[in-house]
Amino acid sequence: MTASNYDEIMQLLCDRLSDLTLSEVEITPESNLIGQLSIDSIKLLNLIMEIEDTFDISVPINALADVQTVRDLVDLIYKIKSAS
Amino acid sequence: MSSTITKLNAPLTQAFDFQPSGESQIIPTPTENTLTQQLAGFDTLTSALEYAAEGTTGYNFYDAKGNLRSVLAYNTLRQNARTLAQRLAGFGLSRGERVAIIADTSPEFIELFFACRYAGLVPFAMPVPVNLGSHAIYVQQLRGMLLSSQASLALANVDYFNFLEEAADGTTDLQWIGTPGQLSEQPAKDIKFQKNDPDETAYLQFTSGSTRTPRGVVITERALMCNLQGIVRNGLELQPTDRSASWLPFYHDMGLVGLVLAPMVGQISVDYLATRDFAVRPLQWLRLISRNRCTIAFSQPFGLKLCTLRVRESDLKELDLSCWRAAGIGAEMIRPDTLRNFAEKFSSAGFDERAFLPCYGLAESTLAVTFSKIGLGSRSLQIDSKTLIDKRMAVRLQAEGRKFNEFVNCGRPLPGHTVKIVNEEGLQLSEMMVGSVLVQGDSIMTGYFNNPEETEKALKPGSWLDTGDIGFLFEGDLYITGRRTDVIIVNGRNIRAQDIEELAEQQVEVRSREASAFGVTDVDGMTTIVLVIECRLTDVTERQSLTNRLQQLVYMAFGVNCIVELVPPHTLPRTSSGKLSRFAARQGYIQRTNLTDQLPAAESGDR
Repeated sequence: MTASNYDEIMQLLCDRLSDLTLSEVEITPESNLIGQLSIDSIKLLNLIMEIEDTFDISVPINALADVQTVRDLVDLIYKIKSAS
Repeated sequence: MSSTITKLNAPLTQAFDFQPSGESQIIPTPTENTLTQQLAGFDTLTSALEYAAEGTTGYNFYDAKGNLRSVLAYNTLRQNARTLAQRLAGFGLSRGERVAIIADTSPEFIELFFACRYAGLVPFAMPVPVNLGSHAIYVQQLRGMLLSSQASLALANVDYFNFLEEAADGTTDLQWIGTPGQLSEQPAKDIKFQKNDPDETAYLQFTSGSTRTPRGVVITERALMCNLQGIVRNGLELQPTDRSASWLPFYHDMGLVGLVLAPMVGQISVDYLATRDFAVRPLQWLRLISRNRCTIAFSQPFGLKLCTLRVRESDLKELDLSCWRAAGIGAEMIRPDTLRNFAEKFSSAGFDERAFLPCYGLAESTLAVTFSKIGLGSRSLQIDSKTLIDKRMAVRLQAEGRKFNEFVNCGRPLPGHTVKIVNEEGLQLSEMMVGSVLVQGDSIMTGYFNNPEETEKALKPGSWLDTGDIGFLFEGDLYITGRRTDVIIVNGRNIRAQDIEELAEQQVEVRSREASAFGVTDVDGMTTIVLVIECRLTDVTERQSLTNRLQQLVYMAFGVNCIVELVPPHTLPRTSSGKLSRFAARQGYIQRTNLTDQLPAAESGDR
């Protein structure tokens, strides 16, 4: 799978997050992963594994410290993907 | 990925021949050493390394895909550490000054740690950021440690250097910060290495991620050597054929003392996987054990849980865990179910449940206090719940059908150590009576660095360390039944209730002494943090906004979700001196929400 297009990454991530959160909350690029989507540590680890497998990248741990919203995460994936 | 797995499945005799294409071949250090094994008995860390360096064993670092990335034989470590020590000497520091190192799982960290000891300096490990959105809080944490330790130097590799730079801003004692690469460019000073004294401080160990009052445990060379000797001789009964595998972070006592220093004082090889790589793909750890025929690997119960949760049937077929003789479990309360589920899942992959090795310890006692007898597996007692709660007494289950709690046997104290159980007045209790766990012995810290107040709270007269844990003794073995209410353990991480309350009180809507944090644990052993706030807001949106903000702050600081309950003013119970009682707050919450099956916790005393 080689979805390196920004919008495709956004779509994929929003779909995946709506499965993970199982709630009625609408997921937008501005949704806060912690505050609004309640992504706990186990869900986060699963999500990172899926992201890494899907996009064939490695997400560095130090970069996650600056991720709060869905858009932050998409930006990060896009950046890593474009650099690789 | 699939090609890697195929390679990992290669017959064991060929496993070491695998090399990533296009890269120069590196070979892991062997299990079998050319040197006669000497199980501890050294007077300092550097003399232990001088001996280990005569052999061929050492440390190996694997990446997320299971490829060997770098090798640091004890011999090379000695060379590199001595060279770096000469560069450190160039700063002209006095003996005993502190050096802060952000500790990711890398050869550089270990080299710097030993370089400090060769140069007579005191290293300490700082954590890596682990939580989403934690940038600001992580920087605060680092700054807290730098200030509390009055560190003169601080190092981080390029990935974490920007955080360190921000944290260094606002400190006064730091003379220099840099990366390991920058240190290598510093001029070396040709110094004659002075022998370290057993009474000198070997390192500091920070015990919590607290932002305002981090506590650095002071461990002397003597305490460290005593604990390491107990671990390798009595706890593990280390053999020349042993090999370790570890994902435990180097900035935790179990990772550093147990899986970096203990293997070195027994001259065995270790295979490392970064904590982050384990957390994302826990099976890589098991693959490493299987492929390299590792015999010793420790984990918190949470790590075993991750493995059990994430394994697929197809994964099991590629694993052979029959080599694993010491599956050490510690660092948080051990639930028998976690071990049973793991053993059930992995028995078809050759895991022998007699390998389970429950132990008990804490950073204030270097690492280990008790070990169960190796080779016997996990043993436990079923204790009548009602008597436990009503009389604080552990009575073995007499009749079927009564409610019970099951507690794991954590074994006996290491030689030279004594454990006693005391009541709230400090009086020693007899066997089977539940109370505070106190430890005495040569591994105990000298205190918290530059913090006499906290030291006095932890070290009782007669050099008894108050562990903050609750438990009982039976036939000389220790059973831990709970923590006091001031520490909440979630997914293996110790979180101080006070830190969460302080975070809440920083919000404009929350007054001081109007927040109370504690943990509630369900029947599956999952602990959730509850934060109860006395709140005057009436507007629904404002109340929701406060709740969301608090949940987010707690997550960013500690990486865990929490329940926030807003209650009317004067709901939280106070002691006669006006102090909030977390114990009573927790009881109140349990009643309001009709929670059942909660293990008894004890009042927090003054710690």
